[in-house]
Amino acid sequence: MGRYGRYATAGLAYLLGALFACTNDPYPSADAERKILYEAFSDPPRTLDPQVAYTTSASAVIGNICDTLLEYHYLERPFTLIPGLALEVPAAEYRTDGQVAYRFVLRPELLYQDDPSFRLGARGSITRRVVATDVAFALARIADPAVNSPVIETFAKIVGFREFTERLEARREGDPTFARLPVHEQYAAAGAIRGIRIGGTTEIEIVLVEPYPQILYWFAMPFTAPVPWEAVAYYDGQEGREHFADHPVGAGPFRLALYDKQARMVLERNDNWYGLRHPEWDAPGATYPRAGTAEDADAGRLDPAAVGRSLPFIERIEFRREKEAIPAFTKFLQGYYDASGIVRESFDRIVRDDHLSPEMTALGMRLDKSVTPAVYYLGFNMDDAIVGAPAGERGRKLRQAMSLAIDAREFTRLFINGRGIPAQSPLPPGIFGYDPAYANPYRVVDLARAAELLREAGYPKGIDPRTGKPLRLTFDTGDTSARALLTFQFHVRAWKLLGLDVEIAATNYNQFQDKVRKGAYQIFQWGWVADYPDPENFLFLLHGPMGRTRSGGPNTANFSDPRYDELFLAMKSRENDARRREIIDQMLALLERERPWIELFHPEDYVLSHGWLRNVKPIGLSLPTAKYWDLDVTRRAALRMAWNRPIRWPAYVLALATVALVLPGVVVYLRERRR
Amino acid sequence: MIAYIVRRTLYGGVTVLGVLVFLFVLFFSVTTPDDIARRALGEKAPPEALAQWKVNHGYDKPALWNPGRPADTLLVEHFRRMLTFDFGRSDADDTPIADRLRRGVGPSLCLTVPLFVIGLALGIALALFVAFFRETYIDRAGVFVCVLAMSISMLLYIIGAQYLVGKLLRWFPISGFDASPDVLLRFLALPLLVGILSGEGSSVRFYRTVFVEEMSRDYVRTARAKGCSDGRIMWHHVLRNAAIPILTNVIIAIPFLFTGSILLESFFGIPGLGSVTVDAINGNDFATLRTMVYIGSLLFVAGQILTDISYVLVDPRVRLQ
Repeated sequence: MGRYGRYATAGLAYLLGALFACTNDPYPSADAERKILYEAFSDPPRTLDPQVAYTTSASAVIGNICDTLLEYHYLERPFTLIPGLALEVPAAEYRTDGQVAYRFVLRPELLYQDDPSFRLGARGSITRRVVATDVAFALARIADPAVNSPVIETFAKIVGFREFTERLEARREGDPTFARLPVHEQYAAAGAIRGIRIGGTTEIEIVLVEPYPQILYWFAMPFTAPVPWEAVAYYDGQEGREHFADHPVGAGPFRLALYDKQARMVLERNDNWYGLRHPEWDAPGATYPRAGTAEDADAGRLDPAAVGRSLPFIERIEFRREKEAIPAFTKFLQGYYDASGIVRESFDRIVRDDHLSPEMTALGMRLDKSVTPAVYYLGFNMDDAIVGAPAGERGRKLRQAMSLAIDAREFTRLFINGRGIPAQSPLPPGIFGYDPAYANPYRVVDLARAAELLREAGYPKGIDPRTGKPLRLTFDTGDTSARALLTFQFHVRAWKLLGLDVEIAATNYNQFQDKVRKGAYQIFQWGWVADYPDPENFLFLLHGPMGRTRSGGPNTANFSDPRYDELFLAMKSRENDARRREIIDQMLALLERERPWIELFHPEDYVLSHGWLRNVKPIGLSLPTAKYWDLDVTRRAALRMAWNRPIRWPAYVLALATVALVLPGVVVYLRERRR
Repeated sequence: MIAYIVRRTLYGGVTVLGVLVFLFVLFFSVTTPDDIARRALGEKAPPEALAQWKVNHGYDKPALWNPGRPADTLLVEHFRRMLTFDFGRSDADDTPIADRLRRGVGPSLCLTVPLFVIGLALGIALALFVAFFRETYIDRAGVFVCVLAMSISMLLYIIGAQYLVGKLLRWFPISGFDASPDVLLRFLALPLLVGILSGEGSSVRFYRTVFVEEMSRDYVRTARAKGCSDGRIMWHHVLRNAAIPILTNVIIAIPFLFTGSILLESFFGIPGLGSVTVDAINGNDFATLRTMVYIGSLLFVAGQILTDISYVLVDPRVRLQ
């Protein structure tokens, strides 16, 4: 056999070997029986800096690394806060000068994860205690303009917060030597934030300039998680070190073991976490809850084997990047991801009559649903002369009529596979003030009444008396995708039934933003996902001073009503009590009549998980829940093997067919050449 | 030849500068620094944070003209960064772009080098085989399969292979990437298969045309008359004399091995430079996108010059003037 023949034989042997050994298992076989949770992610987090990260993908990672002072109860609904790193949820202390203080006491002996950066503080040290000044440091980072935290305005309610920002900026601009100091030294030299008072190593008091009970929710988000100054100073991107935004260091149940954001992120259990070091504390944030809703009991989330046990149950979380939804879902069906959303293309195969299909049930899968604290709506620009407040009663009746033409249930059925419940008001279920019995009289489809309202508004059968033609309105959007245009067409067709001529003005996002800034728009579609489960986080979207055109705020409808604003101010600073409920009812009644929005739907979160993944409860908010989950890895390994046996015979058939096709020709040709 | 190379390099430099100007104009005609900031910080970011982000990333400068400080504009900064290879940080996530290039080049090469080598070797071998049996049913069937293969969209190959090989036959993972040696091959198998299948149609057809033309030349008849074996004629004579058109096709592709394959990397989840480019486009990441386009244009110019030089090396009759 010649040299080429040997190469060919070796190549063939390699290919045959590869074919016999082939497997679609994307993981090393050694990991098959380990408690590793596999999850897919599509967009890598922009940053893992806890004071900056504001996306769902970042929360899924950073929330597991940086424990917060407070947390949400995993099972109870409506959402309730429980202590995390803090010993208890602090009560507001109202002061005579109008200020409000919250005093947090940290658990003693909390430790950060092991990390080389701690050598900066003490030689040879790889961890240290979490102290109250670390919380103050995190808040100072939010105030630092160089950190570029998106929540800087929220925390400006802390006494002296803005002054600290100004002092820091002034010192940096005026003194280059100061600007070169490590940030913790800069913060110290600029002077503390007046409204943050430290008492010993475990006490921190936050003083607000005015009542703002929602501040406690922010202490359940990574923005306020304690951060060691050593990590920020050490991970500066110099001399081969990473940036802090790529190497967060925290005191959570997991630590970041590998961060290749383009492909893979790995979290390993943090052995320094208080839940593992001190199970005897029976801390609420480190113990599987003993109580939940009746639905939790039915769904097996109150399994005696889990209740009261120390968290976390799993040893590692692997996030693998899947840019495309269909391959990710296929890998879930093959058992290589433990949980998944449902891709639109496969929805009808997975869900039948709002339940898991028999085929999927037979595979041992489970479907969990929950309404997300979010609202999607159509909005009117209330500054507009035709649809807005300047049109007075005419404009109001026009808006009411248009609201009566939109069928939200049909909209969700057509465009999001019915994964949403029709919205009656801005408040979704699970939020204080939501009334399941409330039916907005303008959120039903009633074309006859709509026609009557249009007539009263001076647009009989939708005709504009000035032109004698159908009233022409514009639907402004910054989304030019075909799918988005289809959804907008749905509304346009509904309004056409009233005789209105609504034109879709689709521009690119920048042009749309420009129109919004200038107030040159009439109707739009928008959505809002809550930061925290409080009615204030929805109703502020219609607070007058938040008007988009006037102040760049989130009130894109530019709704401004003195009575609503007055009620909003009274509601936002109250605790959840009967009076607050009463105020909210008044606000909703006002919105019902004024119709700055046509509420569409509150989206539902569908989580599909394999039977081997336990204790899954969709939470809706961007919060880490993996510490409550458990895995039956033996069952997973067995099912993966059963579902993924390779089918090899087509390879043999293909090889034989190729030989059978080519060989006769070669033989005949060579024979002829020899002649 | 040196004068020729210098002249081609200068022309290439002008081309690259033109690409940079076009890139700047096109990018900022569809987006603005505000939009880039909003994408980076999220929809909920307040105006103050957006303004600060622009300051931190140098997007607070005028785009083209700054009366007081003419050198302090986005355009000047754009050229300064590119021409000094100081790529800066990603607009999307602040990662140093040089780090991203370093991390991405490995996975890209893991895919493109075997794809290039196997594709080239297989393409030449199949083309020699088909050309050898020219005017037989093997040749006709080969050409038909080639035309069929090159007529099918790459996307169809990808989706078809993921469905058939990954999902139904379960031979390889449907997507993903892991650089660990024990699992790397299984992740590369499917994208390699797709890359080779989708590229071979046009390659084999092109090389076959070249070989058939060479095989009709006098020296082949002479070699055969002298008793040379068919194998020797094909490998030693035809292949060598067909080198110039093959080189044209091949050398220009070599620099682009570093920039990866956009489609394959995106659909198979390979974190290479092609994937970085797609992410930059989707994420409005001007800093990364301009770097990738700049590197692409430099490699294109380098590929052109290398191709010209290779002509001289393989064919002594060629002179570069």
